Amino acid sequence: MTRVAVIGAGMTRFVRRAEETPGELTSRAVAMALADAGMGIEDIDAVCLGTAPDAFDGIHMNGENLIAGAGGTRKPYLRHFVGGGTGVMSPIHGWMHVASGKFDTCLVVCEEKMSPCVPHPAGAFLTIFDHTTEQPLDLTLIHIFALEMARFMHAYGYTEEEIARVSVTHKRNALDHPAAQIPEDITVADVMASKLLSWPVKRLDISPTSDGAVAIVLASEDVARARGITPVWIEGVGYRLDTAYWCTRDLAFPEYVALAAQDAYRMAGITRPAEEIDVWEPYDPFDYKALHHMNGLLLDRTGRTVHRLLDAGAFERDGSHPMCPSGGALGVGNPIAATGLMKIAELYFQLSGQAGRRQVAKEVHRGLAQAWGDLMQVGTVVIMSSEGSLPTRYSNWSDVTVEDLPGTPLKSVADAPHVEYHPELEYAWDHGYALTTYLEGFRAGKIRASYCAGCDRMMIPARPFCEVCDLRAVDRYFDLPDTGTVQTYTISHVDWASLPLPEGKVNIFAVVAIDGAAEKMGLVHLLGEVDPADVHIGMRVKAVWKPESEREGKVTDLAYFRPLAPEEEAGEVEAVMIKPEELTRATAKATPGRIPLDYAYTAGLGGRRFYTDLAEGRLSGTWCPECEVLMIPPSAFCEECLEVLDPEAQARSVDAGSGVVTAATLVFEDRMGRPLDAPVWVVQVEFPDAVGSLIGRLLGDPEDEALLGLPVELVATKEVGPEHVAFRAVG
Amino acid sequence: MGVAVMGVGMCGAFPTSDGLSYREMIARAAQMAYRDAGIVPAQLDGAVSVEEDFVSGYSIADEYVPDQLGVARKPVYTICGDFLHGFGSAVMQIETGRFELVVVEAYCKASNILHKDELLHFAFDPISERLGVSPHYLAGLELQHFLAGSGFDLDDVAEVARRNREVALDNPLAPYGGRTTLEDILEGRPVAWPLTEPMLARHADACVVVVLGTDEAARRSARKPVYVAGTGWGSASSIVARRDLSTSEGTEVAAGLALAEAGIEDAAADCDVFYVSDLYAHRQLMHMDALGLGDAELPALNPDGGCLGMGDLMEANGGARLYDAVLQLRGEAGAHQIEGAEVALVHGWRGLPTDSAAVAVLERERRTA
Ligand SMILES: [Zn+2]
Ligand SMILES: [Zn+2]
Repeated sequence: MTRVAVIGAGMTRFVRRAEETPGELTSRAVAMALADAGMGIEDIDAVCLGTAPDAFDGIHMNGENLIAGAGGTRKPYLRHFVGGGTGVMSPIHGWMHVASGKFDTCLVVCEEKMSPCVPHPAGAFLTIFDHTTEQPLDLTLIHIFALEMARFMHAYGYTEEEIARVSVTHKRNALDHPAAQIPEDITVADVMASKLLSWPVKRLDISPTSDGAVAIVLASEDVARARGITPVWIEGVGYRLDTAYWCTRDLAFPEYVALAAQDAYRMAGITRPAEEIDVWEPYDPFDYKALHHMNGLLLDRTGRTVHRLLDAGAFERDGSHPMCPSGGALGVGNPIAATGLMKIAELYFQLSGQAGRRQVAKEVHRGLAQAWGDLMQVGTVVIMSSEGSLPTRYSNWSDVTVEDLPGTPLKSVADAPHVEYHPELEYAWDHGYALTTYLEGFRAGKIRASYCAGCDRMMIPARPFCEVCDLRAVDRYFDLPDTGTVQTYTISHVDWASLPLPEGKVNIFAVVAIDGAAEKMGLVHLLGEVDPADVHIGMRVKAVWKPESEREGKVTDLAYFRPLAPEEEAGEVEAVMIKPEELTRATAKATPGRIPLDYAYTAGLGGRRFYTDLAEGRLSGTWCPECEVLMIPPSAFCEECLEVLDPEAQARSVDAGSGVVTAATLVFEDRMGRPLDAPVWVVQVEFPDAVGSLIGRLLGDPEDEALLGLPVELVATKEVGPEHVAFRAVG
Repeated sequence: MGVAVMGVGMCGAFPTSDGLSYREMIARAAQMAYRDAGIVPAQLDGAVSVEEDFVSGYSIADEYVPDQLGVARKPVYTICGDFLHGFGSAVMQIETGRFELVVVEAYCKASNILHKDELLHFAFDPISERLGVSPHYLAGLELQHFLAGSGFDLDDVAEVARRNREVALDNPLAPYGGRTTLEDILEGRPVAWPLTEPMLARHADACVVVVLGTDEAARRSARKPVYVAGTGWGSASSIVARRDLSTSEGTEVAAGLALAEAGIEDAAADCDVFYVSDLYAHRQLMHMDALGLGDAELPALNPDGGCLGMGDLMEANGGARLYDAVLQLRGEAGAHQIEGAEVALVHGWRGLPTDSAAVAVLERERRTA
């Protein structure tokens, strides 16, 4: 197996809202990484890109949109993801490219632009939940974090104040990070006093939403050594993805992280991680998460080691187990995928002595970075090492300041040319066999399970196969009692879009283990008829069903769970075997799905120039001095040489009246596929001496359908957006 | 290290599939593939799914991958691309030497997506490419560039659609087989003139699962393995305004890698059966050119009916082609069996607005040790 080295890194600033488009952000991180490695894009054999949900950037197949900015033009290019775990999965996928022997170099790029999703990027998390059995409850990411945090505190005996110390340390560490979005010197009291969002989660427990991009260059040992670089090695990798049935797991301990870490330790030959790892970068989107992950990484189910290290201050930069010296997601910011790769870059800086004021006090030979994601489900782990001597560098990150990093923060999207869009995405999700029976149970006021004899589990939601018994078919269905026990809960003050609930209103979500189901097998739902102060883990509850006439065969037919009084306990209730629903035209149904999101995209640096010109009926191209070409439309980078360009300073005027049609098509349908009242001509137009083209509508009614070669002019408009780009025949 | 296809499974293709949840559809294809490979999922070292968020309706769609493949808590990740992109990634994973058995999966529930043109439009760049009209406009522009730059005319394009639908009648899995004429295609309903509706593949639902393993693992347990001779993938620029719309540079890069790895210099002569993406009829001709197949007479081209006959399965398209290639190399393709098929070239394209493609070369027996 080929040994794989990290030989360069680049990153943008992490900001709440960047003017640059996703591609522009990416191009800047790539250009820096190439420069750091002393390479040009021609030295790169393959590109692999990580970005988490497409719902942030607001572009379907977002990875495809990022090819040019990531340096993937005319190269082998792959985009991968595992939710929030993507950032650390990315160097693992890059490692595969090189370790397999297929490529000598691989550029690894991570990007997230969360700001286009409005009113708040958190709304994109509604659709992480099962569309049929969970989304109707209007859950969002903060709820599942709060449920896990409450369970973690209960299991390991942490107070909110103890956990807040993590936030304080990370935000303070970030004061020394040039890319940092919210570095702050705050106290535990500040965290405790910050706005309560969904108990136990408060505003300052959480990392921000961010825009940013990070890139690193990987190379085989031969390439790295030939370039005279003392490399930082990727020594161990691991990644694990747990079941999506997250209500069937105890959220207190991240098994998937521990398994991923074990894979990485085995590969790196590590047997005593607590002693053999010198610097730790666990994923910290929430403060408790860093501790939760450290339990997993130290393979410590008791949690005592981490609790003791926290008490002793060992996680500080000058401590015995420095944790997130970068400032982490909590301080540097959290453009999801880019955050994980920022942590990898931090290990590279620490292990090559380039971390400057962030350099940890102890001598470092080995570091570990980890990311987490999905429904409390995925762990990705990378272990990196140095050879002990300081590397010879092409550039030195020690002295990099915020001024050296690209990325233009905007206060509001309204401050820049931008395009608004509402995707009309609707779905109908087929229930299939097992869920038909499960959901018809709700209509009947019953909680239904299917039973696997292989593992002796009564499973909720009912499913047609057993995911832990090699997909053994499961055919026995049962009605269970509608009582259960609260495993964890959160008292929420925000809705699915992270907007505040009306004054005085709270939603209490709980994971309820259902009586008669396999141990801890339950479902997430609302609690009602209870004072929030009285809710506790271990509380007995009973379902309250909507009136029969109002039930629709949905999980919301169960209105909520209410407290079950001791005198109501029925004792052991037998599960009753039932006949599952037969699938017919009448019973085979589908749950309506939706993507209730809106977008406001900044036009970016290239787009700003284009639309500013268009308002005046002008056109300019951008000159790439490296390739000696004038590019239209204006561009903030050159996709051929990956040079960073300035569409203002490098603008050259093009005669907007000198266009020639090079392709034309008469379009008969609108964007939804519905017939247009009148068909529309779409033309591709080239201009003399410029590389590239513009695509837009042709106004007027051409007499002849042979439009190729037709001279046209660009039509001035103050409207911003491709729908408004139009041409008119001249002469 | 050699990598083999140990087993394949396919559920579909169907115009709609309302009796099967996506999980049930995947579990069925997976169990077929595992049985074919002679394994149970507990033996797997990892899984790769090929999926896009807005197709699955989930943010971070990888969440919902492990259960119906029986791989919860194993190494799993998702590739966004054609099935063959995920296939290439999985092969690479095994070639690191740290994984022996890896499963690759892609499914398509197109019938559950109510506005597929809008979904496609949403993939176009919001600042320069979303024109507010049918996203097939780009295929209309491509078609014109291709006709202008090649020796082909519109009749040749229509013939691709006619022929692929007809051969699909020999494939029991293909829902869109049919006999039609050039006139029916050329005079069909215009979408982005000169592109007509019969030149586009209709959508269908399906799931494809493929089990990969080392040659040793394959010889140990698989019923009838075939061998991976080469893989490659490539992309042209994402900036449509500056891309050469008359050709497929992504396919050239992908084919260059895969054929070099397979030691094949003349694909037309050295391969016996060919699968070339025909999501739009003109794309088949464009891709053949980029694959170096030119306008060679290839009777063994898309014998399963291609996308036009089997349906547009979105991420699963290349998987359906690969599935058929495996049947061909095993001599198990029934009425559409190509006699003596020893080497198969399989190409997949990501669809508009991309020019991202992937290629796999499979062989019946290892030609080299
Ligand atoms: Zn079981
Ligand atoms: Zn250039």
